[in-house]
Formats: sequence, C-alpha cells, structure tokens
Amino acid sequence: MEEVYVEEFMSPGCVGCPAVKEMLKELSAEFGGKLIVEEVDITVDTTRATQYGIMSVPAVAINGILKFTGVPSKEELKKAILEEIEA
Amino acid sequence: MNARKDKRIGIFICHCGKNIAGGLNIEALVESSREIQADVFVTDNKFCCSEDGQVEVQKAIKDHKLNRVVVAACDPSLHLMTFQRCGEKAGIEPQFVDLIDIRKWTMHGSPQKIDPEQALERSKKLIELAVKRISLKRLIPSIEVKAEQSGLVIGGGVAGLEAGLDLADKGYRVHIVERLPTIGGKMALLYKVFPTNDCAPCILAPKTAYANIHPNINLLTNSEVMNVEGYIGNFDIKVRQMPRYIDPNRCTGCGECIEKCPRKVVDDEYSAGLGERKAIYIPYDLAIPKKAVIDAENCLYFRKGACRLCEEVCPADAIDFEQQTRIIDLKVGAIIVATGFDEYDPTEKSEYGYGRYGNVITQFQLARLLDIDGPTKGKLMRSTDGKAPKSIVMVQCVGSRDKNTNDYCSNICCMYALKHAQMIREMVLPDAEIYICYIDMRTTGKGFEEYYRRTRELGINFIRGRPSEIVEKTDTKNLILQLEDSDIGKLLEIEADLVVLSCATIPSSGSQQLSQILHIELDENGFFKEIHPKLRPVETNVRGIYICGAAQGPKDIPDSIIQARAAASFADGELRKAKIRLPEFMVHERTLSEGGS
Repeated sequence: MEEVYVEEFMSPGCVGCPAVKEMLKELSAEFGGKLIVEEVDITVDTTRATQYGIMSVPAVAINGILKFTGVPSKEELKKAILEEIEA
Repeated sequence: MNARKDKRIGIFICHCGKNIAGGLNIEALVESSREIQADVFVTDNKFCCSEDGQVEVQKAIKDHKLNRVVVAACDPSLHLMTFQRCGEKAGIEPQFVDLIDIRKWTMHGSPQKIDPEQALERSKKLIELAVKRISLKRLIPSIEVKAEQSGLVIGGGVAGLEAGLDLADKGYRVHIVERLPTIGGKMALLYKVFPTNDCAPCILAPKTAYANIHPNINLLTNSEVMNVEGYIGNFDIKVRQMPRYIDPNRCTGCGECIEKCPRKVVDDEYSAGLGERKAIYIPYDLAIPKKAVIDAENCLYFRKGACRLCEEVCPADAIDFEQQTRIIDLKVGAIIVATGFDEYDPTEKSEYGYGRYGNVITQFQLARLLDIDGPTKGKLMRSTDGKAPKSIVMVQCVGSRDKNTNDYCSNICCMYALKHAQMIREMVLPDAEIYICYIDMRTTGKGFEEYYRRTRELGINFIRGRPSEIVEKTDTKNLILQLEDSDIGKLLEIEADLVVLSCATIPSSGSQQLSQILHIELDENGFFKEIHPKLRPVETNVRGIYICGAAQGPKDIPDSIIQARAAASFADGELRKAKIRLPEFMVHERTLSEGGS
C-alpha cells in the first residue's frame, strides 16, 4: 500500500484540534505506519495555510488536497484516506 | 494510486551566504538528503534566490527532468513565490515547488537559533518530510470565480477613510462600517497634529466630507460587522446597524432637539469623560453624518417611558422611537480592516493615582481640554477647582515599554507630548512650567527631530526619569512627584498642579472578536498580524483581507495613510482581475461539524 500524507492544520487554543489529533493517531496505528501525519501550526506556518485557503482550524489535507475544515467523524476521516489511496 | 516512481524530485539546499552555512554542516545535509530516495537530485548553492541560483535550479529541472522541487532555505512567506515562478519558467507546476525554512535554526539573531548539530538533525527531518509531502501531493483542483467589484472597510477613522476613498476613486463600490455614530475616528478629536500643528479636524474634514458624498461610498455608521463568510472575490457580510432613533433622511442636524432634551450625561466618547452631552446628541460640529442620535441607555423615554420632548420640538419630524436594529447583507470582493486603537486605561497603574486624583489626566483628555471646540472650549483648567495649572508634568511611557503591561513602544506618545507642551506654552498658558519625564525621547520621523528641538527651545523642562509614585496633597489637591533625574544623578521632588500621563496605544476594543469573525490572526500584543512584518505589512493570513493603520500596530497619521493606500492597492490588484483562480474547495468548502476555532 502506498503511503498517505496527512497535514493536520491546528493552532494553539483551538477547541476541536485535539480530537482530530487523537483520531489521526488512532488511524495511524490502524494503517500500520503508512500514514504520515504532519501537524501544521497555522500561527507559525501562515504561508502553508494561505496556500490552502484555510480560514479556520482544525483542517485536514490529504496528499495536498484539503478534505475537511471542522471536526470530521473518524469514519469520515478514514473514508477520505481510503479514497485518496484509491485515487 | 500514483506511485512515487514517476516523481523526479530535486532538492536545493541554500547556504544563504553564511546565514545557513555558518550554522550547520551543508555537506552532511546534502549527503543525508541523497539517501532519502534513490533517484533524488540534490545540490547546494550559495544563494538559491540569486539570479545564478535560479538559473541553476532551472537548468537542473531540465537536465534531470525534475517534476518536483524542494528548496531548503528561508521563510516561505518571503520566497516561496520566487521559487514557484522559477520552477514554472522551467515547466513545473507551481504547486509542486515547496520551500522549507531551515534558516530559522541557523541564522545569527534568529530567536529560534539552535546549535549546529541540532540544526542539522532538524533540517534532515524537515527535508525528508517535505520530500514525502511533495511526492505524494496531488494537484489542487482550481476554479475561476468572478470577483465582486466592491470592498468593505471596517473602521471610519483616517486610515479607513483613506483606503475607502482610494478604492472608491478607482471605481469600486465601497461600504465603510463604523461602530460610532460619526466617521472621523480618533483624529477628529485631536485638535492639532504633529509636526505641523495643523488643525486636525480641518485637514480631516475634506476626507470625511468627500466620503459622505462620494457616489461609490456607502457609509454605515452605528454599525458593526457581525459575520463574514466566503473567500476573496466573494465575501458575504452581515452588518448590524444599531438604531439612531432618528430618520436620517429627515434630520437636518439643526440641534433643536438637543437644546430641549432635559437629560445630561457624561460624554466619554467625544469629551474623554470631561464634558457633558445630552441623551440626544450630535457628536461634534463636524460630525458626519451630521444627524442626531439618541442614546437609549440614558434617554428618559427609554428608561421611564416619559418625555419625548425631542419628538415634540423636531421641525423635521425625524424622531422615530420605533426604529429597530437592522441586519444588512453585503457582498464584497475584498475587506480592509482599519479599526484603529484605544488609549490604555492607566487606572491599573495605581502608583500614578489616575481615577483617584482629580488632577491626573491622560494625554487624550488633555487634547480634548485644549480643543477650542472641546468640553472647556480650549481653557486648560483643573477639574478639582477650575483653576489654570501653573505647573504641569507629563509622564511618558505609561503602559508602554513596561514588562508588566505592554512591552512595546507606542510610537506616538513622545510626539504628542511635545505637541501638547508646545500648544500650552504658545497658545494657552505661556507662563506655566512644563516638565516632560521620559525614558528616551523617540522622535524618528520626517521633521520630528526639529520639532523636538523646537520644543526644548521653548523652555520646556526635560527630565530623564519617571516618578515611582504620585501623591496628592489633601488641601490643595496638588501632586507631589519624586523621581531621579538620571542625567545628573539627582533625586528631585516636583509639586505639580496637573499631571498628564502619556498612555500606551492599545488594540481597539473588539479586535479579538473581529479577528475570529474574519479568521485573521492577532500578534502577541493583540494588534492584527501581517504576513511579514517587513515585506508584507498589510496582507493577512486570509487572501483578500488587508489591514492598515493603528489596527496593525501603533503608528502616526502619515504612516496610517501610507498603509491605507497600500491596503487599497492590494485589494485593487486582486479585484481588477475580475476573475480569480482559487482552490476548488474554497469555493465548495466541506464544513462538517462544529468544534473549530
């Protein structure tokens, strides 16, 4: 299986971000290390967030495609990752 | 799934002179980068951003048939576009060019600088991550959208007006939203401005008057932005307009209602708490729009259900007690934030006695007292006994350059203290002794040093040192200040009739809330944050939203004007395209559930 690159956009004090972080941690274990998760603090790396046009966090991009803003359910997140693997 | 094998990645490691090369082992970084993937191309360059450096990148792209590029160099907010353009010239889709910042760990003076071994390890990891990211990255689908030929300016002070007029003159429809009942902002209340000692309302009036009649400008006073959705070119705005209880189409600003209104209240907004106004009022003579407004909190009819005298006497039948809050929907292509500043409330600096001692005031209050249209008609008098002060002490840096309150320099306080000292000496009380107690006098601006020298020549006393405490004499209400003049190393005691605190410039109230509505960042001091403090000072993290004036940080009027024009120019630069290419998801954003910040 090909690796999948997940960018998790967050900021300090963001209410929903820890939930997304936890889900990605669980999914990483599930996908057996094929998930590369990068945490991007939008207050530090503003350019990356601007490129994606992200206006609120949490937000999740998979293989460079922004998939979610807000907190998705774990199922939705997993489905999006699988879709990307099959794309 | 797209395999990695068709991705040919080039890694370009920049020395940035000695900025990076002086802080880590470049050779080791090149070697470790070669081991990331078998077919990766790696090279280093003294200055990747130089003409030669860019030619080398382009040559490598062609020679090695690269289709992905990672440049390990500096802050992407500075140079990402440089390398994307460079890559595009050699045939690479800009989205497949990435710039990562390793210089922050190596450069002298960088707050994040670490030792060379650590810098090397972190850089290795960052490059590895960037290579994985760029090799797995798919092209972000984009879509072309029509840009609304209109702008929203939040704040009707001098910066907001300048930005709004600039855009309106360029042909865009502009909505200026102002929280107060009149435009003009703080500048309208300053009476005089440095370094020309011009009459502030006189030089502001051409702008307020023009904004009032400009065919492309829609002024929304007594209004606040409630909600913003959308993206550059297509922002959907909801504005809440509070009722004036006056029909603006009928009100002529004659003032008969004000004369008859029986209810007097302290005027905090326009007289800095030193004067009175009625419950129905026009903020000041040059207010725009010059329409009365009823302060419902203090109006007898709203409080007790009785009175309505204003309604009886209004010759234009303009009073409307039934008026309701209006929600106004706007659609604009760009937004400019010009919400200005507030004066720091020095009450918490209890050693100065502000709020406890009647003869301790702030510089903004002094500006209102000196104004011939202000609460005392330009007479400088003490609030405790109405007498003219013979000895006036100004204390600089109150709430500025102070670790316990605000660490930053407020930029304008030295100059407005000099201005008020000149005005008192030359126009109001020529015989009064005036002292300015300072840490450093900061007068960096065109004509400012000359202004400082001139103030000294007027016989104003400058003391390097600030009082540790101010004590009020119970009988005379005079104020005793003890301080050390550090220039001569001597302890001084001054008895003053009036003490004026030069208070910090702080972010306008509501900045936090507005930053959440707009999804733009604030800096560590609570001012709106620019993308890059030197090179991109009016852009924010949201494309299409710009900042200017004191909303971005403490600054004087000329700097505010320059930024306002810059913000308008950026907005124009985007809107004039008429159609803007955007990532598809921005247009069809998939928002799932609540919980974000």
